[in-house]
Amino acid sequence: MPDAPIGHAPQAISGVDAMRGVGAVQAKGFWEDAWARVLARPGAVFGLSWIAVIAFFAVFAPLIANAHPVTLVTDRGREWPLLEHLAPADWLLLAGAVLGTPWVFLGPRRLKRSQRLGVLVACGLQAAATVVLSAAVVAWADDADRAAWVKDSIRAPWGIPSAVAAVALVFAAVAAWVPSVECRRVRLGAAGLTAALAFLACSFAGRTALVNFERYLEDERSGAIREVVWAPVPWSPQYTRSDMVAQAPGTRVADVPSLSAYADTAFGARRLLLGSDALGGDVLSQMLWACRLSISIGIVSTGISVAIGITMGALMGYFGGKVDLFLFRIVEIFMAVPVLFLLIVAAGVLPRNTYVMMAIIGCFSWTGAARFTRAEFLKLRGQDFVQAARANGLPVSKILFRHMLPNGITPVLVDASFAVAAAITVEATLSYLGLGPDGQASWGKLLSSATAATGTFVWWLAVFPGAAIFLSVLSYNLLGEAMRDAIDPKLRKAAH
Amino acid sequence: MISYLLRRLAFMVPTVLGITLMVFMLLALAPGGIGAGLAGSAGQLSDTSKVAQMQAYFEDRYGLNDPVIVQYARWLGRISPVKFGERDLRTPSGERVAPPRAIDDPPLAEAFPAPTAEVAAAPYAPPAGEQLVPEFKKLQREAEGARRDYIGSVRQFRDALAEWAKQQGPSMAGRLDSKGSARTEDFRGVEFPPDSPGYAKLAAAAAAMRAKWFRASAARERALAAFRAGPYPKSGIPLLPGLVSLDTPDLGVAFSKNRPVADLIAAALPVTLLINLIAFPISYLVAVPTGILASVRRGGWLDVGSGFLFLGLYSVPTVLAGVFAIGFLANRQYLGWFPVSGLHDSAAASMTFLPHTDAAGLWHRGYLLDTAWHVALPVLCLVYASFAVLSKQTRASMLDNFSADYVRTAKAKGVPRKDVVMRHVFRNSLLPLITMFVGVFPAMLAGSVVIERIFTVPGMGSLILEAIDLRDREIILANTFMVACVNLLALLLADILYAAADPRVSFNRA
Amino acid sequence: MTQRQPGATLAEPGTDRLSRPVLEVTDLAVSFDNSAGGPRVQAVNGASMALYPQQTLAVVGESGCGKSVTAMSTMQLIARPPGRFDRGSILFEGRDICTLEERDMLSIRGGKIAMIFQEPMTSLNPVYTIGDQLLEAILLHQRVGPEEARGIAVQAMRDVGIRKPEERLGMYPHQFSGGMRQRVMIAMALACRPKVLLADEPTTALDVTIQAQILELLRELQRDRDMGIMLITHNLGVVAENADVVCVMYAGRVVEVANVFELFDEPLHPYTRGLFRSIPMLREAKHRLVTIRDVTDEPAEFRRLPGAVPWWPDMPQGARPALAAGRDEHVLVEVRPDRWVACWRTPELEARPHRRPNLAFRRGDR
Repeated sequence: MPDAPIGHAPQAISGVDAMRGVGAVQAKGFWEDAWARVLARPGAVFGLSWIAVIAFFAVFAPLIANAHPVTLVTDRGREWPLLEHLAPADWLLLAGAVLGTPWVFLGPRRLKRSQRLGVLVACGLQAAATVVLSAAVVAWADDADRAAWVKDSIRAPWGIPSAVAAVALVFAAVAAWVPSVECRRVRLGAAGLTAALAFLACSFAGRTALVNFERYLEDERSGAIREVVWAPVPWSPQYTRSDMVAQAPGTRVADVPSLSAYADTAFGARRLLLGSDALGGDVLSQMLWACRLSISIGIVSTGISVAIGITMGALMGYFGGKVDLFLFRIVEIFMAVPVLFLLIVAAGVLPRNTYVMMAIIGCFSWTGAARFTRAEFLKLRGQDFVQAARANGLPVSKILFRHMLPNGITPVLVDASFAVAAAITVEATLSYLGLGPDGQASWGKLLSSATAATGTFVWWLAVFPGAAIFLSVLSYNLLGEAMRDAIDPKLRKAAH
Repeated sequence: MISYLLRRLAFMVPTVLGITLMVFMLLALAPGGIGAGLAGSAGQLSDTSKVAQMQAYFEDRYGLNDPVIVQYARWLGRISPVKFGERDLRTPSGERVAPPRAIDDPPLAEAFPAPTAEVAAAPYAPPAGEQLVPEFKKLQREAEGARRDYIGSVRQFRDALAEWAKQQGPSMAGRLDSKGSARTEDFRGVEFPPDSPGYAKLAAAAAAMRAKWFRASAARERALAAFRAGPYPKSGIPLLPGLVSLDTPDLGVAFSKNRPVADLIAAALPVTLLINLIAFPISYLVAVPTGILASVRRGGWLDVGSGFLFLGLYSVPTVLAGVFAIGFLANRQYLGWFPVSGLHDSAAASMTFLPHTDAAGLWHRGYLLDTAWHVALPVLCLVYASFAVLSKQTRASMLDNFSADYVRTAKAKGVPRKDVVMRHVFRNSLLPLITMFVGVFPAMLAGSVVIERIFTVPGMGSLILEAIDLRDREIILANTFMVACVNLLALLLADILYAAADPRVSFNRA
Repeated sequence: MTQRQPGATLAEPGTDRLSRPVLEVTDLAVSFDNSAGGPRVQAVNGASMALYPQQTLAVVGESGCGKSVTAMSTMQLIARPPGRFDRGSILFEGRDICTLEERDMLSIRGGKIAMIFQEPMTSLNPVYTIGDQLLEAILLHQRVGPEEARGIAVQAMRDVGIRKPEERLGMYPHQFSGGMRQRVMIAMALACRPKVLLADEPTTALDVTIQAQILELLRELQRDRDMGIMLITHNLGVVAENADVVCVMYAGRVVEVANVFELFDEPLHPYTRGLFRSIPMLREAKHRLVTIRDVTDEPAEFRRLPGAVPWWPDMPQGARPALAAGRDEHVLVEVRPDRWVACWRTPELEARPHRRPNLAFRRGDR
């Protein structure tokens, strides 16, 4: 059959030609095509940019907003207080950003960018697991209830490093075994590097629990500091002064009546750019540090809920029958009570920390993903390629994960962006209600201090965090909207 | 139809059980367990041993020292409309009176010599007629007091036991738990040699405990006899006399307020339902027409504009909207147009229902307008987020139906466009909108929890947040139960509406 | 026949009624925006045909040849955009449908021109009863009260062979089988006694026995009511048994028009020949089925028509005859009396007088 002449694009083609495929555009890969469509929408680009900004501050907040000086010279010599006070997670985040960004954008060409991103995500998970578990192990061993030899060995100089090393090795082995990317060498290298970095960070990063910020002011006043370099925003979220409560944005420290003693010092010349909160902490530094909570809570809890949801949905959809009947009762339980209601109860009675909050948001909001996956799998189950895989005697796990999952996962992924937005909303809500994680800067917590019990309304505690929450939720919603339009074939058909 | 409804109602039972079990376990998981709030309330007493006794009494009263699953089963027994065993009585004021509880034997009773003074209590005959009610009340109080004393003495005995064990050296001290207190179960079968150090004190505590137990059981016997004499009418309908009966669910008594939870909920639920039932039609009335118009003029300014606006509104968390509304619209520092809190003015009770002008020419807004004025902001905060969901769904299903074959048929029949849109496209798009109920209603109910806190509205949300602060298990569980029931009934209503709207669904085949 | 004499109807109603086309499509061209971002799709490109009362005009051709678009254009059911009418006219009762206001079109659509569709399973609204949907059409186009309309609906149901129509009117579409639903569709289309029925593959989705019944039914009703039927199909068996005149379409153009007997006896256009030869024959042992393309790829096929070269878009540039200057490369030529074939627009063909395809032929076997 002679094709339409090349180079001579017809003005119009006949219906018969269209049926034969004349005039059709060369197809790209499904995801590539979908991603290009997403990027074609200004809303999605806006959303991605805002998320990138949040992510940047989430990583670099300790360097940008910190009440410790970057460096100072006293009689004792030169010190680097800011770096000394960085926590293991801070170091790992910085390392991940500094090494990961060039890896994703400039990494080896034989891996696709999505694969390189996958490697980075796997390393992130490995590092996070190492940090969390080694902290837990150290805390456990250091507990008063433990036997003496356990306590003594963890308090020995080699105690923490060896405990951390053991944890790091375990997770390195797991990471090397999980097939995150086809290329074995890349996998082993990444797992090894991550384990080494995590070991270094967890063993040697600063563990100073008590921080005295006033020390620097006293030294400054007494003239002990000869030279000092401050971070761009010289405040930390933990640094609160009861003599600096609820100052309006832009206030100079020395202009606060109770702080007029600092009139001639460098401290007195500082400004509270976005004001201070009801406890006398700087709002801007809290806003910047809260980016961490926003990014992590959204992504981690959605990750948990998607993982649970896909597993449950796949089981229901693939096996059907009794399995479906039983598991769907569980889904129904979550449908019968508002999830936010359960979250409030759970957050109210469980310990107030970030990990618990991520876990409960994840564990209570998986039903959407499960329902999507179930519906897709029920559809896919009867399709020929699955029947063929089954007829070929492939094991269930292969059929589920190799053949069905990539085909059934699309609606879940589209929904995941909305789920991240919802998780951020939930975090803000719980923090507002006073059920948020303790000791964490959070936009929701700032927002809750806007309406004080006395009935006054502090506008800068509502407007700035409120705008940040709104923009983040909006960004994820815009992104989700764009992805849905790009991927949902039904909508695409209707959209001609 | 009736059999369908019954089947659906039966299917709700496991769901409600699942939810309450989950919440129960969650509460049990919490650090300090279910009774954590009680310890706080007992903590005002200065004497530590008194605190311990008080706590022991509370634990006994609310059954907190049993395994979680037993506690849950007991809760279920109360909530279940089918009751087993002796029926409760009901006072004329509607209060429920349970039979006096049985008292366990004193722990380790066999290990200590029985006091010689123990004689069987004289048989007790409750008075008849008008004397019975005050007598029963008195006996009830006595039995409760004696029980409280006994529980306190058990606690003192345990302290004595711990002290004794510590004096015996490591073999006995090893039986104590990590906090150094004694659990009587761990000392079962232990010999208590009378010549061991500290034995005298232990034996004295045991004797006191035993004496108090004796008194408490005697008091209980008398109270039970009076109970059985029937000071009040029996509650519920017997199915198998003495064994099974039907009764209304008993939601228990709130730890923190010492009031029946049913009363608290009866006061709070109408408030929440009022706000939700105002908000619900508003959200449909705004979102559905917008969705229809957006789909009819697809790509037009209304379509694009409402899409942007609603997505923006959808992205505003309820707390944010609430804080801004309270801060800028209600606070007197700024506009101050709306009341900051509550559901009524303080003078609402004396208001007439409708607005009127009094003799002096002064205008009074009346109860109705006052309420409307108070609920305006809460309702506003409750509805806006559902606009996006509903209008988007309306638009999408309208667009789906626009390309349906039967719409083409309708056009081919010569049906005017307006009628095609309303009679065919919209009529068929109603079905997913009814299903949306399933998503929107729970979201609103949950949203109202937050809104009630922000606007200090005394509804279910405020009740549960307060209960969480105080760890009041009874309120939390009853609240969960009520919310689940309201929600499941709403879902059932949605299904019935769906079946009414879609002839392809019939109750007999579903 | 394009000349019209308004007075003639009064003078001789009996014969004149049947001797004038009820629907005339002239040089119709319709195109659509391409959703994939490619060039516009020219679905119909200069199609002409005429339909007489009591006549069945079969429009045949492969998928995408423009036959359905022609029918949908006649109903003005093409969404604009993405659709667009480029040129041409559709005359019905002396008025050009393409230029009618939507308000005027409403009374024609369903009242005077009715259409039945291919998908009986989905073409009825699931949430209304059969009665509701029938009455909707009747009440729209006939000035009758509800009771009378019900009577008409019952009669329409009975006409299409549905038993116990009174009872069935209260039933919902999902309670009907596919064949029954198609009967309902036909009853709905015919309830207002239209002049023209556009039947877009009315039997494709049905099984063979039902097919025959429905076509038989249509033929009877056509005779009773002087109705013209445009039968769109790609089932040549259906064409052979039911059509009076056949119009073969390809790539948005009419390639051959003839009465059904002549066309089946001797197809002139190579595409038509290919169409016929692609039908598998029972007693012919073949290694492989003949495709249309096997025929049209054979240069000799194009030389069998003396005096003209049949139009074919895939013919290589060199093989095409020298064309006359003009808007279109394609012209429908009456190569024999009452036989039209699409040819390349050569200067000598351009010089000939042209008549648009217009055949009042009705087969005598009815």
